[in-house]
Amino acid sequence: MTKTLVHLLHESVSRCPDTEAIVLQERRVTYRQLWREVSSVAGFLRTNGLAKEARVGILHGNSPEYAAIYYGTLAAGGTAIGLNTSAKAKDLLNWLNHSESSFVFASAKNNELHELAAKLDSEVGLVIIGELPKNQAIDRPFQTWEQVVADENPPEIDLDGIAESETQLAAFIYTSGTTGNPKGVTLSHKNLLANTRSILEYLELKSDERIVNVLPFYYSYGNSILHTHLAVGGTIILENSLMYPHKVVAKMAEEKATGFSGVPSTFALLLSRTKLQEYDLRSVRYLSQAGGPMPPANVERLKKALPHVRIFIMYGQTEATARLTYLPPERLEEKLGSCGIPIPGVRIEIRDAEGNPCPPGTTGEICATGDNIMLGYWKNPEDTAKVVVDGWLKTGDLAHFDDDRYIFIDGRSSEMIKSGGQRISPKEIEEVISELDGVAEVGVVGIDDEMLGQIIKAFIVRKPDIPLEAKTIQAHCLKNLASYKIPKHIEFTNDLPKTASGKLRRHLLLER
Amino acid sequence: MSVETKIRDYILENYLFTDDQSALENDTSFLDKGIIDSTGIMEVIAFLQEEFEIEVEDEEMIPENLDSVNNIVAYVTKKQKADQ
Repeated sequence: MTKTLVHLLHESVSRCPDTEAIVLQERRVTYRQLWREVSSVAGFLRTNGLAKEARVGILHGNSPEYAAIYYGTLAAGGTAIGLNTSAKAKDLLNWLNHSESSFVFASAKNNELHELAAKLDSEVGLVIIGELPKNQAIDRPFQTWEQVVADENPPEIDLDGIAESETQLAAFIYTSGTTGNPKGVTLSHKNLLANTRSILEYLELKSDERIVNVLPFYYSYGNSILHTHLAVGGTIILENSLMYPHKVVAKMAEEKATGFSGVPSTFALLLSRTKLQEYDLRSVRYLSQAGGPMPPANVERLKKALPHVRIFIMYGQTEATARLTYLPPERLEEKLGSCGIPIPGVRIEIRDAEGNPCPPGTTGEICATGDNIMLGYWKNPEDTAKVVVDGWLKTGDLAHFDDDRYIFIDGRSSEMIKSGGQRISPKEIEEVISELDGVAEVGVVGIDDEMLGQIIKAFIVRKPDIPLEAKTIQAHCLKNLASYKIPKHIEFTNDLPKTASGKLRRHLLLER
Repeated sequence: MSVETKIRDYILENYLFTDDQSALENDTSFLDKGIIDSTGIMEVIAFLQEEFEIEVEDEEMIPENLDSVNNIVAYVTKKQKADQ
């Protein structure tokens, strides 16, 4: 029998059926209740002919339903795809078509649902969660969430029959990519299980964990929080927005949270707009941070505000399921600025351009191997071959070891923009901006930002005689891109720096 | 220019990138519609503090005060009265 995350959840259900698994506002869903919904989803998918490894898209915010659909899909032998809920219909359709998804579970509240449903292949099964807004009829067949979970006694899950091998597909996570080249990171049951177990080991999570979670589950970091907490039998308390930071901290106090995870901008917001020391946060045992480097000054401010709390600085990539390294909290002050050492089961090397290991103090590319390294990008052997070589993931991140082999990130060798923990492809934004009539050329880069790490700037060469304003460009982006991908700054210029062969020299734009 | 007009214009200009007044209803939730995110709300607060010379306290950062044009107008009006 191949062990999967479903088995870990089942063990939690057996150990603590009446413990709260997921809390969302007034709803407190126990492990027993969650398992019933997981079983219902698995039964529904099987009855409706879901094939082994067939893909199931989930377009729904963090919720008990999200977890039930994810685990129900795995239990039915399928492949779960958490979809970015702020993505536009064009991207969603692109991912669903690219992954050849068989089913989509979508929130009735999603702003793109109407267009998505209208353009979705008629063969794809659609399940709508929640009540559709008035005047928003969906003109194609669909089923409702109530129908999926109607049976009080759904068929039992055949735990032995979930996966035929540990390399069976379990999940996709779409990272940034262009329309013609979407990047679907494919993860096996082994990948998910290995990373979950490693994280449980170094974070030392216990069955009485209560985490207040603001990170989206469709994103690899949020995904890891879902899996680790369900595996350990803990409670995930959902706060689905950071717009009102002090509500999040108040929730931590009220729910006696034991943990909290964020990206650097999460902590920057909490530090700037809340008075952490004025809340009763004695129950909090740890904070964890990943999703880009956090300024050491903010680490120190957190430590000062919450001196009893262990702070884990971590580093990872979607291509590594989620996590690669962590800084043991007891060495936080001594190794400030480091993202630590490999997590259990992972090996890290820092290599030069020729692939040779770099000595301490010398910058090279972080390369990693372990059971958490992805199978590859879906239907994209060329890009897979560029980043996974002989079982080693080339991360594109530049770093050096110190004398104790602690890793210090020095920058990125790739052109990807990292903003608020999100990885954004500049090419995707350029592709959208190029659609506008008045644009002759466009180059997009990430520029430094105190709160978000980077923000997006677009350099535009206009066509002569066609008027084009910055606002028009941003409005076009708003229509076609998720809001976090809209350039904050637009600069009109006469030319873009290019190589002799005409390729954009993006790093020179940064120097302008 | 009224408080409402100033707030509407600011949201339309900076988050919807349009001057089409029909693009924004006064009771639309910024959060539900994905119009403003967690960093955007900080910019909105900076705008309110500068434009209306009010101090937005951390505890006042709640949806009831900030999650729609109507809510902001009511909040700003209340703050201005309290300052008089």
